[in-house]
Amino acid sequence: MRFRVSENESVKKAFRDAYSAKGRGEIGEEWQSQVMRRVRQIGPLSPAAGFWPAFESMVWRLAPVSCALVLVLTFFFMNMELEVDSDYLGTMAAEMEKPSLVELFDLEG
Amino acid sequence: MQNDAVRSSDAEIVRQVLDGNVNAFEFVILRHRGLVLSIVKKHVPEEAIEETAQEAFVRVYQSLPTFKGTGNFSQWLSSIALRSCYDYWRKAYRSREIPFSALTENHSQWLEEAISKMPEEAPDEREPQKEAREILNWALGKLSAGDRMILELVYLEGLPVQEAAELLGWSKTNVKVRSFRARMKLEKLLRKVKDQGGRGR
Repeated sequence: MRFRVSENESVKKAFRDAYSAKGRGEIGEEWQSQVMRRVRQIGPLSPAAGFWPAFESMVWRLAPVSCALVLVLTFFFMNMELEVDSDYLGTMAAEMEKPSLVELFDLEG
Repeated sequence: MQNDAVRSSDAEIVRQVLDGNVNAFEFVILRHRGLVLSIVKKHVPEEAIEETAQEAFVRVYQSLPTFKGTGNFSQWLSSIALRSCYDYWRKAYRSREIPFSALTENHSQWLEEAISKMPEEAPDEREPQKEAREILNWALGKLSAGDRMILELVYLEGLPVQEAAELLGWSKTNVKVRSFRARMKLEKLLRKVKDQGGRGR
């Protein structure tokens, strides 16, 4: 197995010590009142979203997928060989017509 | 005010805030500022601590209607604080505000020495080595915000995958995959530092 620098215990320990020493900074007294000022600016909260707002957000979430699907389907139908299918349908129709006319006018042998 | 905060439970305070008592949110800050600040201090640079912690609490306030009241409030709050840190880094990386301190021969030398030491030889220092901090900052600065967060949580803090996944709001598989990739990127960067030292000599 290849030796890994990042998995070396001494290196890992030194990095962990350096990382844990990071959380020592202090913050000012004003900090809490600033948060409350921002919260008061937002004002009282509206109650939890009901069915329609949730439905609306779900619709918007699905919108990109729907658009992608429409594009894929458009591309698919544009590249389909419709002429072959229509020829096939024409032949089928003619074939179905023929025996019924023969029967109707009693032309058979 | 502090005594009232101690007496009421988190769920009660949340209900008061949702009933329109905006000032009751101050109790939430009083109770949980230590927790939020301990998370924020670990994940963002010193100059961004205040702003990120403020942002985290404002987000907590805005998200209160979505708090179900059944789970652990502290965990829910920690998750929001951590995501605020993640967003700080995403913004910083986008605007390229990451300071890239250049590494010198000393850093490569330090890394070589650290590798050759046995784990029990590693000094149990209160003050971490300057070189370790600088190499770590340099390497994390070269990674994406997501890789940075996952390395900090799993590799540096040693959190279990499940806990990291809950905090970041990612799936366990996603955390495992991203953690592995991030470690590989870190490994590549460390090798680069080590090899540069070898070439310089």
